[in-house]
Amino acid sequence: MTQHVTERDVRRMAEYARIGLADDDLPQMTEDLNNIIESLKPITEYDLEGVEPTFHPIGDLSNVMRDDVETPSFTQKEALANAPAAQDGSFLIPSILGGGDA
Amino acid sequence: MKTMEEVLRDWEAVIGLEIHCELTELETKMFCGCKLEFGAEPNTHTCPVCLGLPGALPVPNKAAIESIVLAGLATNCDIEKHTMFYRKGYMYPDMAKNFQTTQGPKAFAMRGWLDLDVDGKGAEERLDVRDLEVGQQVEAATRTETGYTTHIGITRIHMEEDAGKMVHIGGGEGRIDGATHSLVDYNRAGTPLMELVTEPDLRTPEEARLFMQKLRQVYLSLGISDCSLEEGSMRADGNISLRRRGETEFGTRTEMKNINSFKALHDALAYEICRQAEVLEAGGTVVQETRHWDPGAKHTITMRVKETADDYRMFPDPDLAPYDLSDEFIEGVRAKLPELPDQKVARFQRVWGLSAYDARHVIEHRETASFFEVGMAEAGPDAEALAKPLANLIINDLAARRSADEAFDLASCPLTPARAVELVAIRASDAISSKQEKEVLEAVFAEDKDPAAIVEERGMKQVSDTGAIEAVVDAVLAANPDKVEEYRGGKTGLLGFFVGQCMKEMAGQGNPKLINQLLAEKLG
Amino acid sequence: MRSMAAFDYSALSVDAIRSGIAAKEFTAREVALAAIERIGAADAKVNAFLQTTPDMALAAADALDSAVSSGTFDEMGPLAGVPVAFKDNMNLLGTRTTCGSRMLENYDSAYTATCVQRIVDAGGLPMGKLNMDEFAFGSSTETSAFGTTKNPWDLERVPGGSSGGSAAAVASGMVHVTLGSDTGGSIRQPASFCGVIGIKPTYGLVSRYGVVAFGSSLDQVGPFARNVRDAALALNALVGHDPLDCTSQPCETDFTANLDEGVAGMRIGVVPEFMTAPGLEPEVGEAVLAAIQKLAAQGAEIVEVELPNAAAAMSAYYVIGPCEAFSNLSRFDSVRYGYRDPGHADLGSQYEASRAFGFGQEAQRRILLGSYLLSAGVYDTYYYPAQQVRTLITDDYRMAFGECDCILAPTSPRTAFKFGEITDPNTMHLSDIFTISINIAGNGGMSVPLGLSADSGLPASAQLICPWFKDENMLRVAAAIEREYGPAPIAPAFADGKVGA
Repeated sequence: MTQHVTERDVRRMAEYARIGLADDDLPQMTEDLNNIIESLKPITEYDLEGVEPTFHPIGDLSNVMRDDVETPSFTQKEALANAPAAQDGSFLIPSILGGGDA
Repeated sequence: MKTMEEVLRDWEAVIGLEIHCELTELETKMFCGCKLEFGAEPNTHTCPVCLGLPGALPVPNKAAIESIVLAGLATNCDIEKHTMFYRKGYMYPDMAKNFQTTQGPKAFAMRGWLDLDVDGKGAEERLDVRDLEVGQQVEAATRTETGYTTHIGITRIHMEEDAGKMVHIGGGEGRIDGATHSLVDYNRAGTPLMELVTEPDLRTPEEARLFMQKLRQVYLSLGISDCSLEEGSMRADGNISLRRRGETEFGTRTEMKNINSFKALHDALAYEICRQAEVLEAGGTVVQETRHWDPGAKHTITMRVKETADDYRMFPDPDLAPYDLSDEFIEGVRAKLPELPDQKVARFQRVWGLSAYDARHVIEHRETASFFEVGMAEAGPDAEALAKPLANLIINDLAARRSADEAFDLASCPLTPARAVELVAIRASDAISSKQEKEVLEAVFAEDKDPAAIVEERGMKQVSDTGAIEAVVDAVLAANPDKVEEYRGGKTGLLGFFVGQCMKEMAGQGNPKLINQLLAEKLG
Repeated sequence: MRSMAAFDYSALSVDAIRSGIAAKEFTAREVALAAIERIGAADAKVNAFLQTTPDMALAAADALDSAVSSGTFDEMGPLAGVPVAFKDNMNLLGTRTTCGSRMLENYDSAYTATCVQRIVDAGGLPMGKLNMDEFAFGSSTETSAFGTTKNPWDLERVPGGSSGGSAAAVASGMVHVTLGSDTGGSIRQPASFCGVIGIKPTYGLVSRYGVVAFGSSLDQVGPFARNVRDAALALNALVGHDPLDCTSQPCETDFTANLDEGVAGMRIGVVPEFMTAPGLEPEVGEAVLAAIQKLAAQGAEIVEVELPNAAAAMSAYYVIGPCEAFSNLSRFDSVRYGYRDPGHADLGSQYEASRAFGFGQEAQRRILLGSYLLSAGVYDTYYYPAQQVRTLITDDYRMAFGECDCILAPTSPRTAFKFGEITDPNTMHLSDIFTISINIAGNGGMSVPLGLSADSGLPASAQLICPWFKDENMLRVAAAIEREYGPAPIAPAFADGKVGA
């Protein structure tokens, strides 16, 4: 079977998707993804010259918009209700660049 | 480092701008009904949609689409009827969904342009135009009497949403580096944002500055945004590269993000021109990177080196229906187009005989343009005669006041258009001197009274009676026989001394033109 | 007041519950209390519920009983007093919405999904939230982070998925109506495995607002029920334009209107490639053929229709689905809500650890697949062509529906399998071979029970597929099938008030 993605590729995809994939899981994940990608082959074998893509399933739906009218917002408390950490009415997160202490 | 002028003798700068502008004049956000408000308590204008809660779906604000079509029409763009929203993926905590909803290859507005009039000192940055004859052309620039005009292409204006705001804590001065934590506020998240991208048609920092300024005038005239650079509702990214004069390939470019003043835009680009030239002339290569302009230190520093092209995993947003704008929709928006800055300049020239230069500067701000127009209406039959002095008052005195005092508000200040016209009319009749005109202007601001009343109270009428002036002139000459002798011996610079003495005698109320005339006759 | 144990509300139809309350034969509170008690006992065996909401059910019931007292019960909706429950990817204020994931284990709904609100507004008694494959990635409900749900017909077998909890809760007679979501078969396949009715309406018929997205252009919400009329009443409550969902469309149809019309004169399409598909178990194929014959006997015209590109639907689905899922799941980042791995000094490592722990294997596989398929260079190889293939499949259905009013096909190639029986992802994905093309094209589809299959004794079923926004066509055929096979029975171990063996 064609090797579509290497372990290095999978590592890169995981980094892009911000999933800290364990080294132990890498070989199995790579094999699984190669199997799935192999199953996508029919897509690549079609002659699709001149066929328009369908990004939205019900074709003639267009220009759906709302009027510029205010609707109620959350209170600050509601907005932060599920926050893992909050401070001063804001969502609190650790250093973006790193360098702070845990 | 060489000066920019030195650099630009050998190098040509190629500059492109990306200008973001929030549609602050709308009531609500791009994809939800949360109110748009700057400076509210954190996270008080949020909902499932703009917080990116699981299950929430976007619904576009029709007024935002109308606004961007309006902006496109006002900048000579083609309006694309068939467009879609795309998702642009990047994980960053200020973007609640971790993708930005934006547009793909087709934007609502494409292939537009704006013409710039560059004059004064700024025009001198363009060395290849400086020595041309009036009417001669190089690239898109044409030499004019006062400088040159140039044609700047607009690639596209697309619709997207702004991100939330972050405050970085634990580091120095709220900076991200060294911070231990950050606070995220999503009030701004989802604010309708237009991004305009220019062609790489700009050649000097001054052109870049003027382009942004003109775009701001256009947007303000449309009433779609407050275009506040201070509050960040309008901001620019500038990219710049150098190439040897005569070269047609582009050099490697650097980018500066989120520049928030006209001066910073100019100065950052000017600095980059000099910095890149230094790198290139030393045999080095410019690194493709994002640089940060530090206005305090007046230099740029590396923010992020681009090792690979960004991959945003863009694809059409399945939650948002595609657009198929009708002619009716587009024409409906076109009908709302107000008079645009260029049209206003032309009208001010045509109706009141202003020069192009004066007209451009009078209309630079919405409030000065309307001040001028109300003033002209007050002036009645004298309008054309008073147009130039009123324009001067606006361009010089009011501009100085505005730059001296940030809080200066023309609309609520004691100088109404009627008072301004009254003042310039008094001056035009030679009833007061130009020096007295300044004094009266100050007094109007200080005392909130009509100019005529101030002139009356202070007994400021300019003396234009030839007999009275002649008597003073005679007295002054008689009191200074030695100086008269020196003058006649060739020291003609003493004329100013005699004028001053006469004015002093007349408590500043003598007509300087007549004094000069009589002195010249008598000193013969 | 009669003894709770004796009050077997589960055997009643939706209409019977409503009219029973109206006639004061029993109160809504009695129904609610009986359901609370029954779920408490039966769900210990089935594990369909991730949480129960007895207070909410009682409050809703008391409001209905007040309406009876004040003489305004006529104004109450068609589902008045009916025990209902929701797949746990649907937000309901006052409940957690976990999506069967550790990522959202402690996530409190901050608002209520439109579909949930409409069922509650129609008078349904909300009994709780139902188990599912994590983020709806799966066909067996085995990927839930909170344990597996058992098939009420055989507790050693899976209920199907991803809406396994929704199917099992109805099949075990705990509630009458549940909502599920269907991205590639996630309503129809578990309905088939559990022997109940499950409807995936035409895309756009039911609002997706408040339903945690998997594949936004594929997802659709629909009801499970044990008889066609109950399902039609639930669909009536669900449909209609929602200004909060750009893809939702208006609908004025009364889906109960033509249930009694029969199929005489209707043209029912049969797809030969489906009936001869490799992997279709003979007992399933035979059951479907028998149903076709019965409909023909009732006067339906059976026509063969071609779906030449349907075979590529699976590939298109495993491109489009993961791409949309990758993007939809990027919001789970430990910043505003959801699992935050403790002790990280920088956001990057917090992101990676939180998402590695919060998402299970199948979710991670699909996210990584989407990340790959949308990347520069790869996009043009898979994503764009997949959307072109979608056009071809959509056209196939349009052509086919020029020749028939409804298509009849198998729902799943086989009956319910055992826990752990299928572990290979690709084999698991084959559970959906007959359902996926309908999501790709956006048409409506539903699973209808055909009694028990000959060999396994497990529920067999057929799938009905309708043209865009002609969902009443498939309900009409479903009613005709129901006349042959009877309404879906409660699984034997749970019938007649029993709560499991």
